[in-house]
Amino acid sequence: MFFEQLSGNLVQGLVLGSVYGMATMGLSLIFGVLQVVNVGHGAFIMVGAFTALILFQSLGVPPIFAIPVALVIGMLLGMLFYYGAVKPLVSPSGTGIRKVGRKQLGKAAGVFVAVMIAMRILSGILDLNIAFSIFIAIILMYSFLVYVYGGRRQEKGPELATLLVTFSLGVILEEVVKQIFTSEARGYNWDLGKLDLGFTVLPLTKILASGGSLTVAVLLYLWFNKTRAGMAMRSVVEDSVGARVCGVNVDWQYALSFSLGIGLTVTSGVLLTMFIPVGINPYMGGGYTLKAFVIAVLGGLASPYGAFFGGIVFGLLENGSYTLLAALPGGEPFALTRFFSFVMLLVILLIRPTGLLRRKG
Amino acid sequence: MPLLKCEHVSKRFGGMVAVDDVSFEIMTGELMAIVGPNGAGKTTMFNLINGVFLPDEGHIWFAGVDVTRFPSYKRAHLGMGRTFQIPRPFASATVQENIAIGAMFGAAGGELNVEEAMEVADQYIDLIGLKAHRNKPAGGLTPIEKKLVEIARALAMKPRLLLMDEAMAGMNPKDIDQMVTFIRHIRDVEGIAVVALVEHIMRAVAGLAERVLVMHQGAKLVDEPTREALNDPRVIEVYLGRQAEEFNAKS
Amino acid sequence: MRGTGKYLPIVPVLAAYALLLLYGVATPGKWQLVAQLAFYCALGQAFNLFMGMTGYVDFGYVAFLGVGTYGMAVTISSLSDGGLGLGIILIGFLVAAVFSTLLAMAVGAVALRLRGAYFAIATIGVNEGFRYLIEGARIWNGADGIIFSRHLKTALGRKMAMSVSTFWADIFVFGVAVLAAVLTLYYLRNKVGYALLALREDEDAAKVMGIDVTRFKIIAFITSAALAGLLGASGWALKLTYVYPPDVFEIHYTVEAIIIVLLGGAGTLMGPIAGGLIYGVSKYFLAITLPGFQLLIFAPIIIAIIVIFPEGLVGILKGKVHGTRLEKYVI
Repeated sequence: MFFEQLSGNLVQGLVLGSVYGMATMGLSLIFGVLQVVNVGHGAFIMVGAFTALILFQSLGVPPIFAIPVALVIGMLLGMLFYYGAVKPLVSPSGTGIRKVGRKQLGKAAGVFVAVMIAMRILSGILDLNIAFSIFIAIILMYSFLVYVYGGRRQEKGPELATLLVTFSLGVILEEVVKQIFTSEARGYNWDLGKLDLGFTVLPLTKILASGGSLTVAVLLYLWFNKTRAGMAMRSVVEDSVGARVCGVNVDWQYALSFSLGIGLTVTSGVLLTMFIPVGINPYMGGGYTLKAFVIAVLGGLASPYGAFFGGIVFGLLENGSYTLLAALPGGEPFALTRFFSFVMLLVILLIRPTGLLRRKG
Repeated sequence: MPLLKCEHVSKRFGGMVAVDDVSFEIMTGELMAIVGPNGAGKTTMFNLINGVFLPDEGHIWFAGVDVTRFPSYKRAHLGMGRTFQIPRPFASATVQENIAIGAMFGAAGGELNVEEAMEVADQYIDLIGLKAHRNKPAGGLTPIEKKLVEIARALAMKPRLLLMDEAMAGMNPKDIDQMVTFIRHIRDVEGIAVVALVEHIMRAVAGLAERVLVMHQGAKLVDEPTREALNDPRVIEVYLGRQAEEFNAKS
Repeated sequence: MRGTGKYLPIVPVLAAYALLLLYGVATPGKWQLVAQLAFYCALGQAFNLFMGMTGYVDFGYVAFLGVGTYGMAVTISSLSDGGLGLGIILIGFLVAAVFSTLLAMAVGAVALRLRGAYFAIATIGVNEGFRYLIEGARIWNGADGIIFSRHLKTALGRKMAMSVSTFWADIFVFGVAVLAAVLTLYYLRNKVGYALLALREDEDAAKVMGIDVTRFKIIAFITSAALAGLLGASGWALKLTYVYPPDVFEIHYTVEAIIIVLLGGAGTLMGPIAGGLIYGVSKYFLAITLPGFQLLIFAPIIIAIIVIFPEGLVGILKGKVHGTRLEKYVI
């Protein structure tokens, strides 16, 4: 009975793990190309989850068709965030700030006031909260300062900077979604029937999710190895200076990679809801960020394929440990499993930070 | 006893051999240059001596101590100083603070407190002639000035061995001659400091080094007094890529 | 920087805290706001000791506040019958500091060997991990937390207990803030500070200069953690007389700490105070006028600060007083 349960959980873990893996590929891609750790990772997954939810509930679109929509949304969001917040810190060609003195700040304040007035006028037509207006005004004021007074950046920003920026982008997403959809947890019901394997039962939606993840992983592999665009991106990972010498536009590759990475992450949110269609709320991303990092480190932080296999390993470990921990008396297996993920992360970072899989020399 | 001794040192990166079974010695007060074409493994060799990388094989002794597995900071405490190819002083610290940091944490730093280190820094500021910039953040200096700050910072550590990585890259001949004089002066005055350069520039090598170590494809090619090395046909071949006779026949 | 001028910068710090305290005592209606501002300043100063001075981001920082809170809570609920009187609070603080130091040593042993991004990743789950350990293994009452108001009354008598949680707890928070400031100034003016500056600017060059970067990172990390423990013990435990795992391991306190340090100026002495006051006051007004929107407004501000004003307010101020008499006081 125990072994039946264990093997059932392992199969579930395998299927779940492939989705986890897919959810981490974007993270690894962004780190591989830009050396940026997207600490706001979970929030982007959440955006995908809400995309699936809204498309299903309002338009009756089955989640499987939400996938391309999520990919597009994700890539647009990625481009926006890259040019808006990340590029000033990582791109060799800058758009850093040259000099912001009293005059420039004065003009920026003018922009702020102008936007606030415009928003007040607009809120006659659209029902806009004043906080939202302030939020938009701040963003436009910031964009004004960065793009009008931008210049060549002198030196690389400290690593701390990109960590905090990606983190804040995640917070922004969470708060915006919260404002629109409230923090209430939602779910949807999309039932296609089940597959009975004897020792365990797999809903078809989960199988679809897993298959979807695998498909994406395969497509990504083909893209990287068989298309010119993909190979250009890979060249930047290997040697960004060499790539530039060969005529690769590294700046554009950075933008594209970031955007693709975000797109993959948002898409994974859709696949995840096919697996777990409940508990969709603005703050659901937090738990996934930690898992994603464990998986990314397992698979080698810079390798998207490593992330996929890492995900499978993690799925197996997580489910396996849950079964084992549930068998232990006195503990709370759910909470302990999450603690276990954290311990796994530390152990891997300690013994093999570059991941369990060796990259080809 | 040699000050620095490298014995059968090798280093690989993935499948590539960067440094291949290199052995040599440096005596106290010696001026040596490590030269070689690009990719010869010079900077890797430097990094191995300095502790930035650890060798896969071989041993390194410094002042009689086996430092093969020592981290960089321990080697610094024993008396190794280093400057970088692209100068990297601490940008937000002033010139004085930069040099004082070298004094505080270098070989003689144990007993110095902050105030004393600042005084030591002032002496070196006078030496390199940057008194006007004493309280300016090092990030705002010109590349040459940054280079000088780096050298002063390394000297303030009171090293016995000073590793200078392409210290004269990008300089015009007049500046090179000044730098050569300066380095000889350091050796003569500080006495114990040894300067090992990594240079492409033959003018500097000829004027400065008593001995030359030529590297090629990770391995040691020759290790001879300067005059002999510069006329050694193997060295000429490596730099010009042709047989020495062919070269001589054409000229 | 000779002789007695060295520690002058503590003057504006003490002045600021004294003024804040006076204002709070003189206007009892505003005491809660003042207490909250003091908390933010203390949080900022403690966090600044690590993030500001080393440049490493510890995303799990709130865990140190959490275990400090538990330290005090556990002490009071276990020793309330011992007849220790006020000594129980002192012991509680000691236990809190020990708990947070132990956690810092455990986390640091793994995380501090890692470089920037990997370090951040390693710390990302610390608060979650610890919270789920407590809940999962049912340590210290697990998910139910500890309520010790009754024990506090037993240990100190009803009147004294009341006065501790409504007044003295906040005074202790001021104390932690001042302690953090003093330690920060001491580090800044001595070799420790320069080592940290070097490793923050360029860790590899620092190593080559003879700086044992790991050792200094540990020093900063543990100091910062111990202070967080004391802060949790006073501002959370003593003030609220209960501890509940989801509350004390809540990541948004780390976010607030980051905002406060960046706003005021990372690595400066006055920065966290400026940041704490501005953030606290803004949040207070936002809570009245636009409740629930604080993060929405502050998140883009963080990005703006990082990209446009990385030195923060005090950083900019330092540039402006450079070469004037005020220079000695603003660091």
